[in-house]
Amino acid sequence: MNFPILSFVTFLPVAGAVLLIFVSKEKTSLHRYLALAFTLITFAASLVLYFNFDGAIADPQFIEKSGWLGYGINYHLGIDGISLWLVLLTTFLMPIAVLSSWTYIQKRVKEFFIFMLLLEAGIIGVFVSLNLFLFYVFWEAMLIPMYFLIGVWGGPRRVYATLKFVLMTMFGSLLMLVAIFVLYSLYYKATGTYSLEIFDFYKLILNPRIQGWLFLGFGLAFAIKVPMFPFHTWLPDAHVEAPTAGSVILAAVLLKMGTYGFLRFALPLFPDALEKFLPLLSVLALIGIIYGGLMALIQKDIKSLVAYSSVSHMGLIMLAVFSLNPEGIQGAIYQMLNHGLSTGALFLIVGILYERAHTRLIKDFGGVSSQMPVFSAFFLVCLLSSVGLPGLNGFVGEILCLFGVFKASQLQAILAVSTVILAAAYLLWMYQRVMHGPITNEKIRSFKDLNKRELGYLVPIIIMMFWMGIYPQAFLRKTDASVSRLLDRVHNREKIFLQESARTPSLNRDRPVATEAGPAVEQALIDLERAK
Amino acid sequence: MNSLASLYPLLAVVAGALIVLLLEVFIKKDRRDYLGFVSLAFLAAAACLAVLSWNKGLMYFQGTLSLDNLAVFLTLLFSLAVAFVILLSLKYIGQQEANHGEIFALLLLALSGLMIMTSSSDLLVIFLGLEVLSVSSYALAGLRRKDEKSGEAALKYFLLGSFASAFLVLGLAFLFGAARSTFIPEIIVHFGTAAGPSAMGLFGIALVLVGFGFKIAVVPFHMWTPDVYEGAPTPVTAFFSVGPKAAGFVVLLRVFMNFWDTAQNDSLIFWALWTMSVLTMIVGNLVALRQTNVKRILAYSSIAHAGYLLVAILARDYSGLVFYLAAYLFMNIGAFAALIGLSKTGTEYLELDDFAGIGFRYPWIGGTLSVFLLSLAGFPPTAGFLAKFYVFSAAVRAGLIPLVVIGVLASLVSVFYYLRIVVYMYMREPGREVDIEADNPALLLVLFLCLYGVLQLGIFPGNILLIIKQAIASLPVF
Repeated sequence: MNFPILSFVTFLPVAGAVLLIFVSKEKTSLHRYLALAFTLITFAASLVLYFNFDGAIADPQFIEKSGWLGYGINYHLGIDGISLWLVLLTTFLMPIAVLSSWTYIQKRVKEFFIFMLLLEAGIIGVFVSLNLFLFYVFWEAMLIPMYFLIGVWGGPRRVYATLKFVLMTMFGSLLMLVAIFVLYSLYYKATGTYSLEIFDFYKLILNPRIQGWLFLGFGLAFAIKVPMFPFHTWLPDAHVEAPTAGSVILAAVLLKMGTYGFLRFALPLFPDALEKFLPLLSVLALIGIIYGGLMALIQKDIKSLVAYSSVSHMGLIMLAVFSLNPEGIQGAIYQMLNHGLSTGALFLIVGILYERAHTRLIKDFGGVSSQMPVFSAFFLVCLLSSVGLPGLNGFVGEILCLFGVFKASQLQAILAVSTVILAAAYLLWMYQRVMHGPITNEKIRSFKDLNKRELGYLVPIIIMMFWMGIYPQAFLRKTDASVSRLLDRVHNREKIFLQESARTPSLNRDRPVATEAGPAVEQALIDLERAK
Repeated sequence: MNSLASLYPLLAVVAGALIVLLLEVFIKKDRRDYLGFVSLAFLAAAACLAVLSWNKGLMYFQGTLSLDNLAVFLTLLFSLAVAFVILLSLKYIGQQEANHGEIFALLLLALSGLMIMTSSSDLLVIFLGLEVLSVSSYALAGLRRKDEKSGEAALKYFLLGSFASAFLVLGLAFLFGAARSTFIPEIIVHFGTAAGPSAMGLFGIALVLVGFGFKIAVVPFHMWTPDVYEGAPTPVTAFFSVGPKAAGFVVLLRVFMNFWDTAQNDSLIFWALWTMSVLTMIVGNLVALRQTNVKRILAYSSIAHAGYLLVAILARDYSGLVFYLAAYLFMNIGAFAALIGLSKTGTEYLELDDFAGIGFRYPWIGGTLSVFLLSLAGFPPTAGFLAKFYVFSAAVRAGLIPLVVIGVLASLVSVFYYLRIVVYMYMREPGREVDIEADNPALLLVLFLCLYGVLQLGIFPGNILLIIKQAIASLPVF
């Protein structure tokens, strides 16, 4: 493959955004169609990735690498089984988000779609970067469009919500930046060459104390993004205030950047530190599961209910990640996609209700299903997918996650099951209050059922839900090799190290025998410690 | 090589200043912009002459003035900054009752001061340059004669500036007493002797640091900055925030480049600078949070940036320092250019409330200002991010991890107040009717050049970075 397909997928939305800048402000429908066209073409291009991706290979594929700024800062893209699905999830949901904003966004249409396209580029960039510098650039740059999307098109407390979101995320990522600097200088001191390549850092053997600090730096950034309890406080605010499309992308993809960060960086880079922090992290994930579920039970606003359900579901995903076995990690990756689909869909559904009623309070609804029968069916499917009904996608992911957790710790698994029970409780109770019962609000009598556009973006999601629920192998197959490689990095580092250095001798020019590099690096670290 | 050619760029600038002063008498008051164009021609000439001396290592006056590669690069940078400021002033001085042809002559004279400061290794000559710069700056600050704030700015700048100069001279006297020279290499030799520096030498260098600390506005010598920045005409403020600060840091670069490696007992000075850096980052950013006037916010932001630049000195990342200065030039002049764009005859809109709703009303000014603010806050993919990246990563490599943690947390604080301006521009409904005179092609040119600079340096800084590294590498090591 000589065509730089990953760059194409990443930067096509940017091209779209630049094009939109030069389209007159008044032509709002042209803006909508152009945004839709660009997101659809991006999705089509990303399908090429899907068809050409070889699930048997653990290493990143579609590699594009060229020098950029020197000193280890390269333009290096590639995807493996872990990032492939996240890229596809992003490109799949983006046209849907654009469609959902078709009538929802009435003012400043041009700017809205420009920021949506920039956001898409930023998110894809995060998932495809293999150079830490590039990763960080996308990671931070993606905040800017999200900041505007919430701040300009959001609800009444949008300014507070957007600043909280940006500042909390920045707090974590700036500390991660310091940790990146430390890694950068450690690598330089150990080998005498500059590098910011993730796969070079995998080779570094770090002393456990330094690992602990670095893990804190990286882990905090990702934990805020996921968000794990107690760093979740930005999430309900951001979700409630964001416009529908913003919420969808936030829940479906942005949160996955945190879990992805754990899988890509925190786990394989700092296995010793991970071991030390594992109990704490598992407890935080469990608290998140139960706390999020309980909070969701008492929400009055449908949107914040879905937001808290995210906290609970993401807790389960993190717990599965920390189980550190193939079932758990596969389940976590699968559940990331499921959560993206089902929570994204639930936010879309809340958006549909809001567009009709201009309220999101549960008590203002009741008996909607009699007016909107088709809608109520769709709502029920999305909801059951989130609850984890067998036959739908959520079930497969949750079962895998729980298997993984059970293998690691039975007690944790028993507690973690509450995520499913609580989800059934808060979601079905909400459904009952909103959709059934007598019509209390006269406005509801004038509700129209789903129109073609709304059907158009809900149907693909529903199809995916069934597909992923009935035939998960199609998806899991692609991730197998990468997941087992990841686990090898965590558990049997020496083995991986030997394999890789045998395969790419050029990377170890300065170290004639790879096995001796371990102690040499160790020594450099000890020297560094002493120097400090 | 000892050659008069090393003075050519300087001579071009000074000649320009004198000719502009003379011409002013003959030009009608409403055609003052001709003087601006004449000044631009002289700036271009100076820049060309500087480029021609790249890699020649020209010197004059027994090496007290040397046009080494760093000086050439900075001459180009400063000429660009002054050219931007002149372009910004063309319309502004007519609008804001500062219509005096002297502004162009004074700017050129100030530029000559900057050039002397950055191309000398003798502290006494540097002091001469500083005084040329300062005297022109005092006059520039008070250019809006009828405006009380402008008068206050000029007087405050003058009084405190002279005070700082006095410290500097006294420090020089002590240093001369200790090292028998004001030539930087010889002073460093004095500090490098096995016995360590004499008390007199230490005292002298402390006083010199106070003097320069004032010029580059580091805490605790920053008190003048907000008032002067607020009162001075806005293009002049843009110049103040970039020119004198950059020159001051280049002097520090020349002093400390060899100092760290040679000097004995440098820890005292190291920790003094460390403390100043931390204080500057914290105080500058925290106080900026409370400001409601955008010019004052930018003043405190400029103080905070001095803190980050000190980190570069401490980390011995000199090419990072110069890169930061270049990036800072584009983003800060760009931000001030946007402020100048938001004005009409007799009125400037500088309160945060005035910014409500600006973003959608004036998309180009709002959009570019947002980019500059995001760059100042250090968001990728802008120059501000890359500059911070280089400086902080070098600091980590030098083992200054606590300093970097403080630095990044301080810049987190700065994100809040930079984004607050963006919040007002895009997320608030317009309050007071803001009505600007949009017809200002020179301003748009500056905005776009700065935007280009911020993005070019942020995404593809390759060549600029290479030039800076070469310039630093060619500096003499004693």
